[in-house]
Amino acid sequence: METLSVVQALIIALWIGAVMSRSFLGGATTTLRFTPMMTGLVCGIVMGDVANAMMVVAAIQLIYMGVFSPGGQMPSEPAIAAGIAVPVAMLGNLDPEAAIAVAVPVGLLGSYLYQFRFFLNTFVVKLSDKYAAEGNAKGLTWSIIGIPILISFALFTPLMFVALYFGTPLIASIVNAAAGGIVFHVLTVIGNGLAAIGIAVTVYVIGRKEYIVFFLLAYFMSVMLKSLSIPMVTYAILGTVIAVIFVLAQSKSTAD
Amino acid sequence: MAEYQEKTLDLAPEALTKKDILIMWLRFYFANEIPHSFDRYIAPSLLWAMIPVLKKLYKDKDELAAAYQRHLLFFNTQISWGGGIITGLMASLEQERASQVYKKEEITITDDLIYNTKAGLMGALAGIGDSIDSGTIQYIFIAIAIPWAEQGLAIGALFPFIAFSLYQALIGLFFANQGFRLGRQASDLLTSSTMQNTINVLSILGLFMMGILAGNYVKVTSSLQFTISGKEFIIQDILDSVIPGLLPILVVFGVYGYFVKKGMNVTKALLGLTLILAVLGAVGIL
Repeated sequence: METLSVVQALIIALWIGAVMSRSFLGGATTTLRFTPMMTGLVCGIVMGDVANAMMVVAAIQLIYMGVFSPGGQMPSEPAIAAGIAVPVAMLGNLDPEAAIAVAVPVGLLGSYLYQFRFFLNTFVVKLSDKYAAEGNAKGLTWSIIGIPILISFALFTPLMFVALYFGTPLIASIVNAAAGGIVFHVLTVIGNGLAAIGIAVTVYVIGRKEYIVFFLLAYFMSVMLKSLSIPMVTYAILGTVIAVIFVLAQSKSTAD
Repeated sequence: MAEYQEKTLDLAPEALTKKDILIMWLRFYFANEIPHSFDRYIAPSLLWAMIPVLKKLYKDKDELAAAYQRHLLFFNTQISWGGGIITGLMASLEQERASQVYKKEEITITDDLIYNTKAGLMGALAGIGDSIDSGTIQYIFIAIAIPWAEQGLAIGALFPFIAFSLYQALIGLFFANQGFRLGRQASDLLTSSTMQNTINVLSILGLFMMGILAGNYVKVTSSLQFTISGKEFIIQDILDSVIPGLLPILVVFGVYGYFVKKGMNVTKALLGLTLILAVLGAVGIL
C-alpha cells in the first residue's frame, strides 16, 4: 500500500489549518469550508494526480450539496472530509462512491473540532474586552485576528497531519479489503443515493414551496433529455430565462 | 509644528469617505469568522472592521474606548448581506453620534439605539443572505462546475471558488455603501420591488438547477427482478416505462418531507438515509 510522504501530509494539513482558521483570504474561506472541491484540488496537486482527485471530490461534493452554516456551525465539515477521503481514495485506488463512505464519518468528526475552536475562541474574547476598554487597537488586532488564527492552526494542523500520515494508508487498506461483492454494491447504492440529501437541503433552505414546480420541471426535463448531455451552463441560462419570464409576468399581473 | 498642535487639540471627527467604507468592508470580509466564538460569535470582527473608522470619528481616548466596547457585544450575521449592510449602517450611526458628541448636543444615537438597530437587522439579514448566497448562488456555481470536476478538470474546483468569493466581496461592498448612504433607512433596501424580484428570480433559478442536478446525479435504481410463469419482470424497466426517474425523486422528496416535518437536521437525515439505503441495497431491492 502506498503512503503519503511527510511533506505531502504536511502541505494538506497546513491547507486545512488555513481553511478552518478562516484566515486564507478571509471571507473566501466560506466556499473553501462549505465545499470540498478546492481541498480536493489541493490534494490532487500535492499527490500529482489532479484528474483523479477531481473525479473523487465531485462525488463527495454531491453529498455535501446544500451544506452550509446558519449560525456558524455545520453538521459536517466538507473540507476536512475531503482532506482525508480524497487521499484515501487515491492511495487505495477506490471508486469515488467508496470514498463517500470514508468522507461521511470524517466530516462528522471534523464538525466537533470546529465546535472546539468556537470554545477556545471564547476565552480570547476576554482579552479583546480588556484591550477595547484600554482603547488599544494593536492589542485588538492581536486578540481578534492573531491569536484565533494560531489557535486554529494548532488545533487542526497536527491532527490532520497525524490522520493523513498514519491514518490514510490504514483506512485505504481496510476499505480496499472490504470493497468487492455485496459490500461494494451497498457502498455504491449509498454513494449514489446520498446526493438526495444535499439537494433536499437546498430546496428546503430556498424555502419557496410555491416554486417547487420549477424543481419538478427541471427534474423531469433533465431525466428526459439525459441522452443529449446538455451542459449545465445551458441549463442555467434556460433556468434564468424561465425565472425572468415568470417574475415579469407576475409583477405585471400585480401591477394591473 | 503649529499644524501638529492643532491636530492633537482638535477633537472634531473627520468626515468618512468612500475609501473608509471600502477599507472597513474589506476588513470585515477578511476578519469575518476568524474570531468565531460561542458567546459573541463574530462581534470582534465587526469591531476590528470598524477600528479605522472609529479612530477617525473619536479623537477623545475615552470616547474611542467606549466605541470599541460598544461593538464587542454579541453579534452574528451572514457575511455579505448582513455584514455589508450592518457595517455601512453602523458607520453612518457612529458618524452621527460622533458629531453630536463633538458639538455637545443631546446624544440621540445612544448605545441602546446602536445595539438594537444591529440586533434587529442581523437575524433577518442572515436569513436572507444565507438562503440567497450560500444556499442558492453558491450551488448554482457548483452545479455548473460539477460536470467539469467529473471530467477531472481543475476548473471544476476553481470556478465556484473564485466566482463565489468575488461575488460576495462585491455584493458586500455594494451593501456597505448602501447601508452607509441610507443610514437607518437601510432596511427599506430589502423591501424594494427590484430586490424582491431579484430574490424571486434567484430562488426559481436555484430550484431549477437543483432539479437538473437531481435528474443527473441522484441515482436510485431497483435491481429487483423475478420470473413469474416463465415471464421475466425487471422492476426498473417497468418503472422507467411508467414514470422515468421516479425513485430518485421519491428519495429527494422523502428527505425534504422529513425536514418540513421535523426541522432541518442534516446529520440525522444523512445517517438515516445511509442506513435505509444500506439495508435496501443489502437485501437486493436497490
